[in-house]
Amino acid sequence: MSMSGLLEAWLKRATRHLSEGSRAQVRTEIEAHYESACEEALGGGASAGEADRAAVASLGDPGAANRAYRKVLLTDMEAALLRETRCGVWSGSKRWLWLLPTLVLIAGIRFLATGDAYFGWTLLTGASGLALLASAFRLPVYTPVRGRIFRAFRLLWLAAILALTMRGSWFMLISCAWPLLWVEWTLFSLRRKLPVAEWPKQLYL
Amino acid sequence: MNLRGTLPTLILEALEQEPKHGYRIAQRIKERSQGVLDFKEGTLYPALHKLENDGMVESYEEMENGRQRRYYRISKSGRAVLAKDRAEWRSVSRAVTLILERG
Repeated sequence: MSMSGLLEAWLKRATRHLSEGSRAQVRTEIEAHYESACEEALGGGASAGEADRAAVASLGDPGAANRAYRKVLLTDMEAALLRETRCGVWSGSKRWLWLLPTLVLIAGIRFLATGDAYFGWTLLTGASGLALLASAFRLPVYTPVRGRIFRAFRLLWLAAILALTMRGSWFMLISCAWPLLWVEWTLFSLRRKLPVAEWPKQLYL
Repeated sequence: MNLRGTLPTLILEALEQEPKHGYRIAQRIKERSQGVLDFKEGTLYPALHKLENDGMVESYEEMENGRQRRYYRISKSGRAVLAKDRAEWRSVSRAVTLILERG
């Protein structure tokens, strides 16, 4: 393996599954670090090969570095999700988004009127949450505190709708809940990794 | 020696006097601990990014010997956290010394 080959192999493992931007960032900072370490070793009388090996060895296990990087930098999956949320259906104000909660509300009232309280209340709960989501982009939610309050309401609604629709069936509840939990976890991870100044509106919601 | 959990505090201490780039931060920690605190330098940058995400350090780019380097400086909230960590460490260290050097 050539001298730069050692560093290349280290970088390849350390940046696995990171987004393109994160990979470039890691590469820049680690290459600069490596060059400084090599210069110091060469200044101390080491050969070029020894300096290379010592500089790469001082970086440690690339697997451990990768695990640490994935906790603080965007992964390729998170970067893709961020792109989708920036360009997705929720990114503009669209009147047709109100169609679904309106239809569900009408259906809920109709069920209540015909005496089917369970379906009626389930649909009304669903309509209230869908209305919340449809109005999200018009609400003044643009600070972390307001974002937390909005998300608390959204999570309460999700818990209520899951409890109502999946009453009595844990298997159904878990099957429906895990994709929602996965999305929530990914959004939580994005909020931790991005400075608030760089949050798109979707991350507040 | 294992640095688990203390690396962010040591980074903040290294930046207390003046801004530094990653390599200088690593050297500073090793020199100040007289080589006792040795750590794998690949884990330094994730810790720096975490501190930056948490608003405890700020970064900017500058040229050094014709090479673009990212420098880090401690922020106001970083100084407050460092002061708190220092006080906690003194208290814990005093208590452990009292126990271990009793007999």
